[in-house]
Amino acid sequence: MARPRRFEKLAIANRGEVAVRIIRAAQELGIQTVLLHSSVDEKSAAYRLADETVCIGEAPSALSYLNIEANIQGALSAGCEAVHPGFGFLSENADFAEKVAEAGMIFVGPTPENIRLFGDKISAKAHVEKSGGPTIPGYRGSDQSIERLLQECEQIGYPVICKAAAGGGGRGLKVIRNKFDAPELVKSAQREAQSAFGSSVVFLEKYLESAKHIEVQVFGDVSGRVTPLFERECSVQRRHQKIIEEALSPSLDDELRAQVNHVARDLCERAGYQGAGTVEFLLQDNKFYFMEVNTRLQVEHPVTELVLGIDLVKAQLITAMGQPLHWPKQFQPRGHAIECRLYAEEPYKGGIPSTGRLLAAEWPQGPGRRFEVGFEPGDDITANYDPMIAKVIVWDETRIRAIQKMKRVLSETVVFGVRTNIPLLQKILSHDEFLSGTMTTRFFEAHFNKGLEAPEYSRGEQQLINMLNSKLGAVDTVGPASSPWSHSWGRR
Amino acid sequence: MKWVEVEFQGKTVRVPAVKHQGKLWFHWQGETHVVETSVTRRSGGEKGATHPGVLVAPMPGKITQVRVSKDDLVKKGQALVVMEAMKMEYTLEADRDGKVTEVNAKLGAQVALSEVLVRIGEASAE
Repeated sequence: MARPRRFEKLAIANRGEVAVRIIRAAQELGIQTVLLHSSVDEKSAAYRLADETVCIGEAPSALSYLNIEANIQGALSAGCEAVHPGFGFLSENADFAEKVAEAGMIFVGPTPENIRLFGDKISAKAHVEKSGGPTIPGYRGSDQSIERLLQECEQIGYPVICKAAAGGGGRGLKVIRNKFDAPELVKSAQREAQSAFGSSVVFLEKYLESAKHIEVQVFGDVSGRVTPLFERECSVQRRHQKIIEEALSPSLDDELRAQVNHVARDLCERAGYQGAGTVEFLLQDNKFYFMEVNTRLQVEHPVTELVLGIDLVKAQLITAMGQPLHWPKQFQPRGHAIECRLYAEEPYKGGIPSTGRLLAAEWPQGPGRRFEVGFEPGDDITANYDPMIAKVIVWDETRIRAIQKMKRVLSETVVFGVRTNIPLLQKILSHDEFLSGTMTTRFFEAHFNKGLEAPEYSRGEQQLINMLNSKLGAVDTVGPASSPWSHSWGRR
Repeated sequence: MKWVEVEFQGKTVRVPAVKHQGKLWFHWQGETHVVETSVTRRSGGEKGATHPGVLVAPMPGKITQVRVSKDDLVKKGQALVVMEAMKMEYTLEADRDGKVTEVNAKLGAQVALSEVLVRIGEASAE
């Protein structure tokens, strides 16, 4: 197995904005970078920025970014000594971490044992319970008699959710609100489970209907110490996909904050956790419930970086090299940071994906503004991969100022060629519930599920459109050959 | 960024704007807009089928499920085709009751935006 040691050449097994983020951090540390990419990703910012590139397969992820052997061979062929998996793709694959090490390279991330322990929901929950951490109360026993199930419902406390052990997709799933409805609902869940999945076995769990998503960033350094790096709140989600994240959470007082940071550190330290990780919790009625540990860098890591003044990607690389971090003993968070994820989607058609060539982009720079972008004008945004094309992150002294700054930044941000969710983000940022900081994970579905109505153009705006139309003429004003700003196109 | 100067309500304004493949993209009062150059309305609003009974791909992507065959009788709201793009799944539903007259969606096929996937005719009275 490869032990931590200095390395001079790093493979990046990822794409898009996170590949750019990792390449920049490595280059600043004087490390050579090799991008492992699919055949369609030659037109991307990471491809242009990397010191070397190796094509590891065709566009479908299974043939390239998810292909363990292709990634390892690609890294070895370029003489890499370490591999950074980014997030998504193979970042939480213990087999990949193991095979990278077997090939004599360093995996920039936690150990395969860390990944396995937390990757499996059952072993993760068992570990948290053993560490004395708070899990969602529930019953997963084999005694399925109606008497026992009702008794367990009482024990857990209403509302209780009853779901098919074998199932998913909402069938055999009942929310039980009181003991009077319980017998009929449990029996009905058992019947539905039997007919849908061929097994009447059901699980019970406490139903959290107005919970906030709170997660703690942790980092295990070479000394074996795990530092809790405060929390982020990510309650603005659509179908479990995060849209807006912030640090710190507007909902925690000092006591709750200390408590959740302590729990996160404790359960990671007991597991001998190495590198960057995130412990996710649900918070309801001032009580935390453990959800899962993500054994990797998170998409929303920049908000933590901005309030603490640290660089998590460099910390990962330094730790992988076996070097100590020179962090203060006690962190003092400063101000407030917010991240908005920019998705390529149709804002007035319920968010369906929008693909195409990026024609032009304006990222309005300024103090406390940070843009993580993976594409440049001329690049294609295809249906092959995730719709997240960029992240906009702001920092300001207070939460309300950070919100004001974000709204201003988004209004100055221009993306031509694909539609984005910016109109939706603006509506969320102006919503009372978001402004007050009281939003829960149901916020999006409660207020934005119907999508946005396309506003009509005024007479004045129609005149403007007509004038722009005639001024620009009938011919495309952008194109690979005839563009007046073709210098910003294509490959270097 | 390419800026275009136009006279608007007595003033000269500079607007970031480009034209590409029949679409005008411009940024105005804090929002990016796109319009078909022949039509002055915002892109968006109408979903899926443009004519009743004609189900088109609302985005480019891959067909992952075809749940209907020619001559099937379908109900409004019934799931007919499932597509995938950018790791997300979309279910296309019948926009009216009727009989399926044509199924162009093939399992695993890549389809372009606005490609006709299914046609539904009036349910014929037997």
